[in-house]
Formats: sequence, C-alpha cells, structure tokens
Amino acid sequence: MCECKTREVASPLLPHIATVNKIIQENENIRSYQVTFDEPGILENFGNLPGNCGMLSILGVGEGMISITSSPTRKGMLEFSIAKVGRLTTAISELNEGDKIAIRGPYGNNFPFEMMKGKNLLIIAGGIGLAPVRSLIDYALDNRDDYGRVDIFYGARTYDLLTFKYDIFDRWPKIKDTHVHITLDAPDPKWDGRIGFITQDWVEESCSAENTIPVTCGPPVMINIMLKLFKKMGFKDEDIITTLEMNMRCGVGKCGRCNIGDRYICVDGPVFNLAQIQKLPPEY
Amino acid sequence: MADKTIKKDQVKTMLNKIAQSNQLIAPIQVDGITLFKPVQSGEGVVLDYQNALVPPKDYFFPQSEKMFSYDITDPSWAIKLAEGVPNRVLFGARPCDVKSILLLDKVFDAEFRDDFYLDKRNKTTVVAISCNECRHTCFCGAFGISPGEAEGADVLLTDLGDKYLVEALTDKGVSLLANFSDLLTDDDGSGKAAKEKAVAPAKDKQMKIDMEGVKAKLDNMFDHPMWATESMRCIGCGTCTFVCPTCHCFDIVDFNNQSSVGYRYRCADSCQFANFTRAAGGHQPRPSKKERTRQRFMHKLRYFVDRYGDFGCVGCGRCLEKCPVNLDIAQIINKVKEVG
Amino acid sequence: MNKVTENLRKTAAKLLQDKEVEMVIGYGLGSEAVRTQPVFITSPEDTEKLVWNSFCVNGLTKYLSDLKTHPGKLAVVVKGCDSRGIFRLTQDNIIPRDKIVVIGIPCAGQLSYTKLASKMDVSGQLNDVEEKGDDVVIKTTKGDFTVKKSEVLLDKCNTCEHHNPVVADHVVGDAINASPTPDSYDEIKKYEAMSTEEKAKFWLSQFERCIRCYACRNICPGCTCRECIFDAIKPDWVGKEIDVSENELFHLTRAFHLAGRCVDCGECDRVCPMDIPIRLLNKKLLKECKELFNMETPGSVEEGGSVIGQYRLEDPEEFM
Repeated sequence: MCECKTREVASPLLPHIATVNKIIQENENIRSYQVTFDEPGILENFGNLPGNCGMLSILGVGEGMISITSSPTRKGMLEFSIAKVGRLTTAISELNEGDKIAIRGPYGNNFPFEMMKGKNLLIIAGGIGLAPVRSLIDYALDNRDDYGRVDIFYGARTYDLLTFKYDIFDRWPKIKDTHVHITLDAPDPKWDGRIGFITQDWVEESCSAENTIPVTCGPPVMINIMLKLFKKMGFKDEDIITTLEMNMRCGVGKCGRCNIGDRYICVDGPVFNLAQIQKLPPEY
Repeated sequence: MADKTIKKDQVKTMLNKIAQSNQLIAPIQVDGITLFKPVQSGEGVVLDYQNALVPPKDYFFPQSEKMFSYDITDPSWAIKLAEGVPNRVLFGARPCDVKSILLLDKVFDAEFRDDFYLDKRNKTTVVAISCNECRHTCFCGAFGISPGEAEGADVLLTDLGDKYLVEALTDKGVSLLANFSDLLTDDDGSGKAAKEKAVAPAKDKQMKIDMEGVKAKLDNMFDHPMWATESMRCIGCGTCTFVCPTCHCFDIVDFNNQSSVGYRYRCADSCQFANFTRAAGGHQPRPSKKERTRQRFMHKLRYFVDRYGDFGCVGCGRCLEKCPVNLDIAQIINKVKEVG
Repeated sequence: MNKVTENLRKTAAKLLQDKEVEMVIGYGLGSEAVRTQPVFITSPEDTEKLVWNSFCVNGLTKYLSDLKTHPGKLAVVVKGCDSRGIFRLTQDNIIPRDKIVVIGIPCAGQLSYTKLASKMDVSGQLNDVEEKGDDVVIKTTKGDFTVKKSEVLLDKCNTCEHHNPVVADHVVGDAINASPTPDSYDEIKKYEAMSTEEKAKFWLSQFERCIRCYACRNICPGCTCRECIFDAIKPDWVGKEIDVSENELFHLTRAFHLAGRCVDCGECDRVCPMDIPIRLLNKKLLKECKELFNMETPGSVEEGGSVIGQYRLEDPEEFM
C-alpha cells in the first residue's frame, strides 16, 4: 500500500533553514504557517507527497513532527498547521511573519493517492485531524478529473475549534462534485447547522461503499469509532485508510521512539490501512 | 591473505605502531573496570580481560554526541556541523560485540543513511579477538555467533598461548597488517589448527540456550500474563539498555550554552524510561512497566527479527549481569519456551 | 530449607489467607545460584516461592512507592538496613504506615554476587546454603563450594547499624544479639583529608563513568518525587547529555536532595553498573548531619522527618 520510495538523503538529521512568510490564525489554538526555504533549490526538490510530514524545529527549543498540510500541487511554499500543546509548539505559536524555522523532511509514507484514482473519496475528520488529510483533499481537488465524488465529513467540539474555515465554508464546497458536511458536538450560538457526532446514518445519506475509499483522521477515540463505522458500511480492511500518531524524535526510523512491533511510524507510516493496523501490537 | 601469527610479546609493539597513524581504541583498566578507551600506545592495554563493561558500540553510536552548533542571534540561523572522527582502530572487540556492530549497521545504514554513525563506522578498522574463555553470563552461541569467528571485523586475533593467530578478514584488515608486517610470521597451518582447541572452552562453558521456536511463540504472546509478572520487579532504570551492545534508541535535544549559542546533540535514551513514549498532549501508549518490559524483550527477540531478519541480542550477558533485580533475558527466553 | 524460610512462608501464607494483605513482596530464587529476585506473591499457594538465604541483597521498600495505590495492604520483607526505608516512606508521606505489614528478618550480613562470581561457578541453581562461622557452604547444581564469608560479604555489611529491623509487624527468625558495628566514618575522613585537587580528580573520574541509567535513583526509597527534577525539561535543570559535567551535577544534586533523609541502605552502590561509590557522597552528608544535628541515621525511628525540613530550638546556629 505504501507508495513511497526509499529516499537517500545526505545527513538526514540536519535541518534546512526556512522563513515563515504567512501566518493564518485558524482558531484560538491553531495557526497555519506558510514557509519557504532560504536555500534555493530545496523547495523545488523537496518532493513531498500528500500525507508526508516534516520535522520542524526552533533552534534552542527542539524538534517536532508535523504534517504538511499543503498539497504538492500548490507550489512555492509548504504549509503546516500547528496547535499549541507543548514546549515546541508554544515556541512556534510565538513566531511572526519573517521569522526563521528549521525543517527537515519530507518524512513518512503518503496517502495512496494513485490507488484512489477513479474512485470516490469519503473523508471523515475531527478537530485538528483535518490537517493531515488536507494535503490529500487538495491533491485530489487539484487533479479533479482523476477522482470521483468527494465527501468531507468534519466535526469539532465547538464552532471556534473548526479549522480551515476558509476551505470548509468557502473553497471546497464550490468545487465540482465536492461536498462538505459539518457538524458540532454540542449547540453553539455561532452555528445553526447540524449538531451531534458523525454517525453511520448521516454518512450513508450521501455515500456508500461502492467504488469509494474511506479515510479518517482525528483524535484516537474518534478514529476507533470511524474504523468500526467503515467496516459496518462494508469497506474492505485494505481500503480503510487512517493515520497513526506516536511521539517521534528522529523521523528516520532509528531512534526507536515511534516503534510499534516491527514498524516505525515515521517511515512505515503515519498512513496505514486497517489491515496493516490489525497486524500491529495494540500499542498506539 | 594467508594467515599470520604474532608473538605475544610483540603485541604491544604492534599497538604502538598502530597508534602512530591511527587513533587507537583499546581495552584498559579504569578503577578495576575494563573499558574501551582511546590510548596513546600499547602501554596499559589489557589482554587478559573477558569483555569490557561498556560495549564498543559507544565508538560508533556514542552515548552522546554533538550534531551541530548554532547561534540564534545569527539572522540566517546558519548551523555548523560537528567534526567527524579521525581514522581509528578498535582493538580487542569480542565476536559478540562485532556482531552487534553488524546489527547496528542494519539500523543506521538503511533508508536514510545516518552520517554520524557512518562517518565513525567507515573510519574504523576493527581488530577482534576470539574468546578462549567466557563469563558465566555468556550465551553467544544461542544466536549463531561463534567465539572464534568475527564476520564484520577486519582482523581477527586468536590467543594460542605464546602467540596470536592473525587472520585478515577484509581488505581494510590487510592494509592495517601491512603497517607491521615485520612483526608477523606466516602461519604454517599449525596456528589455524590450534584455533579450534583454543576457543573450545568458550563454546562449551557458556550458557546453552536453544532459540528454536522462541520467535514463533513470541508472535502470539503479546497479551501473555508473564509480562505482568516479570515486569513487577523492574525498577525502570536504563541499565540494560545502556550496557547493551545492540540498543540504539536515542533522543535529540537542543542545548543553549549561556545566551544564544548552543548545539543540538543526540544522546542514548531508553525505552525502559517511563517518559520515553509519552507525547506532548498526554498520549502514552506504554503507561506501565508491563508494557515497557514487554517491549524490551519483544523488540530484541521478535520485532528485530521481523524487520531486520536477525535477533537483536548477541548473548553478551551484560544486561543480565548488571540488572539490579535479576531480570535475566536468558531466564525470560526459557520461560517463553515453557509457557508460550 | 532453612527454618527462617519455612516460617517466612507460613507467615506470608497466613497473611494472604486471612486477607490481611493483598500482596507479599519478598525474595525468590534468582536465575543464578547466588542471586535472588524480588517476587510479588498474591496467593497463599505461591508463598512457596519465598526464600530467605545469604543472597537476599535487594532492598524491597521502594516497591511500596510504586504500589501505593494498590488495593488493600502490602506486606514487605525487610532486613535491618532496608527497614529504615519503611520509615523514610512513611515520614515522607508516600504511603501510610497502616497500609504496610512489615515482615522483618534479622540479618547477619549478605553476600556479594560480584565477589562470589570471582570465586565460584555461580551459574547453577541453588540447592542449599549454610553458614558455619566464617565458612559458607553453597550447594548448587554445578557443585558445592565453600567460601570465606569475610571475603565475599557485601562491603556495607562490615559497618552494619541494625542487624535487626527497626520496625516489624512480624519477625521471622531469631534476633541477632551481636553488637552492630556502625560506621565510624573512617573512610569518609580519608576523603575529607584529600586536597581539593585530589578530590576533584577522584570524583570526576568516577562521574565520567556514569551512564545515567538512574538505577541509583530508582532503587532509592528516598527518591520518590512524582516528577523527578532530572526528567523535567521545563526548565532543563540537568541536561540529558552524558558528559562528566552533567553527570557531576546529577550526582551532587541527588546527594543534596537526600541530605538528612538518606537511610544509608547502600542499595545505590550495589545497583550501579559502573561501580561508582555513590554511597560515599550520601555518607559524607550523613556524617555532616549527624555532627550538626546530633541525630540518628534517618529511618531508625518512626517519628521524625527530614532534619533539614524541620526547625528545632536546639539546631546549631554557629553562623549567627
């Protein structure tokens, strides 16, 4: 399933220096950063595919593995969306446009966008889980004719916690045969749309397992529920796609931190299908 | 190259010659403990040791090493890479430790080749020494390692009493021997013939563990209750992982020296530490000692086989000797065979 | 099987049968003839795993800290030195006294695994061990061996302060009437007499060997902070880098954190894989505290607490 190729990179633990060109405040806790590399040629040859991650760092603070939320079809920059949860992400949240950031990558495998061609996409995401799949969504929508109907089901706890509001409200729904379904966990004065969790009934109003590939991304609890939902809808284990998240340090399959069974999430993942997940020891 | 021999009383001279054009790393006694250390000459190098307490993996994958330095006030954030190592000879590695280097090669020399490791690896010539005796904790034979063979080393010495048999195993080894060819005599075959007898005690007296079927059993023992029982006595220190010649987990940390100048280093880390897998945000896939103890043995005896095709243990016995609570990998293996 | 083992098993079985405790923490046979390993017994049938012999070197009290939320009461087997750890834990409010049932065993000294391994084949299984004066007869599946106790005794046992546990709800075995031989700190005085340069040379060569395994910290009944300062990254008090400077800071800081609280059980020395004489640091501070505050070794009595954390009118005030 993994369509990545082994990448021979000189000094894989050495970062490239990049500049933050644009910062978008997605919500109270999450900002998106558009960056370009200072050294010419790096960005053009970066070669990131949908689903890849980059190891970001602030020199003096530390490193963290972050999904690249921009699709490779959108050239000229890389985009990352980062929530403030720990020491590094707090330091990143204090960056201003024009500040420096160090990046190495691209790491990890990618969404099986080749296998998905000619099929419908059913994407279910929760909270900041929309970030890792965003690169896949934009890749598919930028190659619109290669893919069938695209349904994006997106839920968050509150209106404020919805990420990528411009994409979900203004950009994606305007694209041919692309449907965005949004729900909030509980009533919210800013929202007069659907309230409640993402349910099988709701999903089946628009989608079926026929010629469709399902993808889910979000908090671990949500992923567990969605994987079961996909199985009930009749999807095959090899077609059900999700991402696993573990604490990562080196990003290149050596330091052992993200080791589960015989896999390293940083090189063999983070994208997995359900058949692969079922072979892993349940330690993620 | 044909086998050679060297008289025992010439070994110091040989080491002196090696030290002239290489950094020489050899076993010495420090406060009564045998350790591999850089030395200026053959003086002080011990030959009557069984094994060093800390494995020589330290010279390929150090407990900590600087990666690069930076100056945050520099607007371009230019980083300065740490220097590499000089050409070196590692003298005195035992066959178990030589095998461990081959196992580490599988980790560091694969998909994303690790330059920090490879710089040291490529610049080091390994002179191994066969084992005539073994410690009560040795069991290299369990993993197909022979006390008299050292595939992966460049030269292999075997103690034959008054002299050493000298076998060049690689071109690098041949080049090294050329530096002191005057100290070497051609072996007329008697040296090689005596080798088997010389290493026989190490083969016979070590712990005999049969690994047949252990991996297959472990494949189905993830939820076995033995991990909960065995892990109770673990105190969660890093002794086993830090004396282990094949352990390779590490952390990457930025260190700010005073104001704005600092460096990024990597240092050995241990899957036995409670916070190893804990993520910012609180996600902790191995919350208790049970999961962490299980991870250690599964990784060495099952996952490493699945990923790299070989057991991750070389039977050196350091962990079981030093574990403060007698968590003994040999005992665990026997228990797996019994209850798995 | 010796009488003490027999009585130990009976005591443990009764405690479990009567449901007075949920678990008995004790010693079981180890993987080699002259080792034991901590065992955690939860059913009366399993008490046959408990043993008492000359190789019961581990201190088991630290496990009480890990298990403090375990339902019911916990029984733990202690020797004299370990028993001071019980009061360390209760004085530090780590675990309430009434959650612990102490099974005390009078001890005339334990034997060192390292010393024995240099004198005999330790690789078999233990059949029996008997002490007759200075002779220790160790019968194993690899043969019978006689060693001189004085040559293989754990170093710390030469200066034993409490042959009999300072606390015990049940005492298994006969009390030892031989006078204890507490430390007169001659060894410490030897180091005190060194010049600063000599001290630095000695200690830095020890700290250079440290591999930061934290075995010393993890086995210590005085080290029970929920988040250890050496694990904290915010702020980064002691770096993870393993070099002599960071290692020195680790050892000295830990010694100071234990000053006035260390019960001198000697486990830190035993567990160190690199043979660093960690206990000397703690002993030095213990000597200072004893001289300044005229106190007993911490953990010797139930009342008390960290001498540095309390104020008494009698405290010395020569600096005022």
